[in-house]
Amino acid sequence: MSAALAELILPGSIALEVTADTKAAALEELVGLLDAGRPLADRALFTEAVLAREALSTTGLGEGIAIPHGKSDGIAAPAIAFARSSRGIDWGSPDGTPAHLLFLIGVPEAAAGDEHLVILAKLARTLMRDEFRQRLLDAATVEDVLTILGEIAS
Amino acid sequence: MVASTTVVIGSAQGLHARPASLLTQSVAKSGAKVLLRAGDGAEANASSLLSVLTLGAKQGDSVEVLVDGEDEDILLDQLCELLARDHDA
Repeated sequence: MSAALAELILPGSIALEVTADTKAAALEELVGLLDAGRPLADRALFTEAVLAREALSTTGLGEGIAIPHGKSDGIAAPAIAFARSSRGIDWGSPDGTPAHLLFLIGVPEAAAGDEHLVILAKLARTLMRDEFRQRLLDAATVEDVLTILGEIAS
Repeated sequence: MVASTTVVIGSAQGLHARPASLLTQSVAKSGAKVLLRAGDGAEANASSLLSVLTLGAKQGDSVEVLVDGEDEDILLDQLCELLARDHDA
């Protein structure tokens, strides 16, 4: 079984507020956060995978959530970056809501086939709860965000 | 009327965001109420991407699809075809 979700999110990969106001800029910023948490094996290659995936169909899930992701040799081990946008970013979500909670999931090309799916399912189960989303939006510090994300069951 | 059947997930990497969004788009367009029920009894509202992703359905997993709406049999066929197809191929 895979690691607890919170173990995949390093403190250096969390931003309480993105400076980006477009999806393209936010994706770059999220990749930068992953790189800051643990240097990417090949940032350009990983960025390419994230953008290619985004081009296939939006990763905006609705309810103010976006989960862009990339499966690529540009990253050595599964990791997640998390950032918030208080004004919201147009992510082309099916319900039309701008994205306020951004999770970038990176997994190596060689990761088990279901690694990505397991991470997505765990995140989705927790994010379904209005109360959990609100606490994430309200968290005042990176430590608070880590504590809240740490509650996600493994 | 409710129509239901069980389908085996075809995508190599399971019911991840991309195949799930194709499903939720079809459901939204139809206006029908569609429920997915996984083998472990977990249920998802097929019009919500977030809800569908909570199932974490892998390739080869059986999922029951329940459709409540007009022309439910036609819609059921369409949705099952979507779920059974390997979108990662």
